[in-house]
Amino acid sequence: MNWLQQNGWQTAALVLMATGICALMPRAGSRSRTLGLLLALVGTGLALWTLPGPTGLLANTVLFWMFSAAAIVCAILMITSRNPVYAALWFALVTLATSGLFLLQQAAFLAAATIIVYAGAIIVTFLFVIMLAQQAGATVYDQRSNQPLLASIGAFVLFAALLTTLRSESWAKEPPAAVVAQLTVSNRLSSGTADGKMQSLGRSLFGDYLYAVELAGTVLLVASIGAIAIAPRRSQGTI
Amino acid sequence: MSGEFQGYLAVGAALFILGALGFLTRRNLIVMMLSAELMLHGVSLTFVTFGRMHNTLEGQVFTIFILTIAACEAGLALALILALYQKVRTLDIEDWTELREPDLPSPKSNTERVDPLPPEDIQHFPRLTPAGGAPEMNDSGTEPASNGRLSVEKVQATVM
Repeated sequence: MNWLQQNGWQTAALVLMATGICALMPRAGSRSRTLGLLLALVGTGLALWTLPGPTGLLANTVLFWMFSAAAIVCAILMITSRNPVYAALWFALVTLATSGLFLLQQAAFLAAATIIVYAGAIIVTFLFVIMLAQQAGATVYDQRSNQPLLASIGAFVLFAALLTTLRSESWAKEPPAAVVAQLTVSNRLSSGTADGKMQSLGRSLFGDYLYAVELAGTVLLVASIGAIAIAPRRSQGTI
Repeated sequence: MSGEFQGYLAVGAALFILGALGFLTRRNLIVMMLSAELMLHGVSLTFVTFGRMHNTLEGQVFTIFILTIAACEAGLALALILALYQKVRTLDIEDWTELREPDLPSPKSNTERVDPLPPEDIQHFPRLTPAGGAPEMNDSGTEPASNGRLSVEKVQATVM
């Protein structure tokens, strides 16, 4: 009974979300999406309501709820949309909402980089591939999904486990002061002003992580060469 | 720990499991790749939140590396998807089930192997009538040689 009082609303929210997503998944027979959408929306709202939000400034709190709700709802619509073009566009909205959450967490450069790389490059590449490879009209594999019930149950059991872990206070204790005193961290987040955060991020990237940055650049080069080598090309002379 | 970080971590977890759900259920290769990118978003959000909890920039640095790897992954995966599409002319994941134990049954869902649905909502746009005659092409798809000298040069170039 005690457990039910503590976790009842959250469990109900997760069950509602799972049911809604399961009903929204494409399957045989055309049925209305309204009921599934309603269930998923109510479940998302309930799940967000059970979360403790950020404290402090009112604008911060309001923006957090807005961006979180937008991210989760757009993600649900993305994975259940029957048209891959719409899925890509919903994914762009998820990217924008995630960038907003980055901005709220003092990661301005990361928000800008995410928008540029994802919304500017990756989504466009996806849309190009959809244009090259999508058949006209509705296809059978977009109208069916693979074991939606089992996958929803599994995924939401995982989600419930993660949320329970987050609620327990055991992992979130402050480390002992003796341990903290021995740590030498060169890239403190709180060092510097708002402008200085970007500066210290660059200093950390090209100071502490210089070799990793070089390796990442090499990986990018290798991947682009590989993509050119793998991509199919037309036989010569055909149009 | 205050609930401030808990909200961000929960949103990150939600994005991750929604991406996993999409990756497991959807059958379109492109939507599966999009779901994998959604999982990366969830992990990025978690990394940034952990970095803020520990008051370091390492979470943001890690997220920048995730961004790099996501770009590589998208480029390579889309090239592979195009190559696969050229072979079977479909994006269905269930057409690629050869790599399994020989005594196991096919994971293709039997009820689903029906005729494709009639295409809905195809818009037929008007086409322009071709202006002028099409250029002559021989079977190999190249233009026929206009005179003998050119073809001899071509043959020599090919031999050399």
